[in-house]
Amino acid sequence: MVNILGIEVPNQLNELSVQQFETITTIHADTELDAIDKYLQVFEFLGVPTIKWDDVEIEEFKEIVKSFNDLSGKPELVSTLEIDGYTYVAFEDKFKLSVKDTKSIEKIMNSKHKGYLSELLAVLFKRTDLTKVEHYSDAHIKLKAKLIRELKAELAVPYLVEIGQKLSKHIPKDAPTEIVE
Amino acid sequence: MHLPKSWSEIDVLQFKEIRELYTITEVFNREIEILAILADVSSEELEDLDIEEVTAMISQIKFVNSEPSKQYKHQIDDYHIKPLDKLTIGEYIDLEFYFSKDYNQHIGYIASIFYRQKTTNQWGVTVFEPYDFSPRQRFELFDEYPISHIYGIIPEFIAFRENFMNTYGNLFNDESEIDDEEDKPTTSQESKDLQLKKSEIKWGWERLIYSLCNEDLTKFEDVTNLPLIMTFNMLAMKKELSL
Repeated sequence: MVNILGIEVPNQLNELSVQQFETITTIHADTELDAIDKYLQVFEFLGVPTIKWDDVEIEEFKEIVKSFNDLSGKPELVSTLEIDGYTYVAFEDKFKLSVKDTKSIEKIMNSKHKGYLSELLAVLFKRTDLTKVEHYSDAHIKLKAKLIRELKAELAVPYLVEIGQKLSKHIPKDAPTEIVE
Repeated sequence: MHLPKSWSEIDVLQFKEIRELYTITEVFNREIEILAILADVSSEELEDLDIEEVTAMISQIKFVNSEPSKQYKHQIDDYHIKPLDKLTIGEYIDLEFYFSKDYNQHIGYIASIFYRQKTTNQWGVTVFEPYDFSPRQRFELFDEYPISHIYGIIPEFIAFRENFMNTYGNLFNDESEIDDEEDKPTTSQESKDLQLKKSEIKWGWERLIYSLCNEDLTKFEDVTNLPLIMTFNMLAMKKELSL
């Protein structure tokens, strides 16, 4: 937690939920907002009213942002989850993306709809008692994503890093065909 | 799994299937579907393979993201390429139609206009078969030939068309002249004029043929069989001299 203008605000990955992390990511991705507005919106979302910033000097604001971004520890990839009595497994020994996972993840990433980060994790974590067909059904992915949203962001971040690295390696850059006209 | 190494190993039918897949916006998904076509397996089969293996296969078929060779065969079986300067009005109009659609998907139709049977008459002059067939009857003739045999006719026609329009463009009504925003009619007369202009563009070729027929539709085929270049030279002269 970090104290911002007298309010305790979650900032560590083991304090923020996946859902909160998704909202923060969405705010940061909003190209309509400048850097200061982005942080004001993030802080407001986490419980600091915008009105509180009226008398804060820019130097103090910068320091607050710095302490908010000061993350401790580096979360590891968690291979297995237990939720409501079910086991969800993302990988056995070493994390790798299957072709099917990559296809699904690419589709989700392209859609960039709200909550897509938890859907990426939902593709990776497969309930052990279900079949391959059920793993990838839209309804099941949405259901898993809903459950994952309640978990801590420390689960999501290492996967997002891994997915980013693997996709940049395996997905070719879109090279449109040469137009002959 | 055998994979082709160049366009010369891909037939026209596969080429059309591949180009149709470019509507898929997700690059990896598209590449998997293309790979499935070229490896002649289902995309589900590829999903079970290791991603490293699949990525290596995708890199082998990178050439599909480029255009096939601009060269083309001048003869395919009994069919010979008809030179562009020998096109008739009817052939050109049909080519315009197929190029205004998706020319990759209509390459068989386009090829059936360009590749024709020919003979040599008693005076030793090459005579091409008349254009009295529909491309719909022949478009499948080319499906199993390598795309590299015929693809070059596409860029060649596009270049020819550009040159043709630069030379004779003033004989056509220019669609760009109509700007829906700027030309918003304010009076009923202006509205009628705009509608007329749009109709003239819509029926451009039909109007031209109707005029060349002297409004006698029994001469329709005579007109569509006229040499394109000669006819447009005459039309240009007529316009310049206000005849």
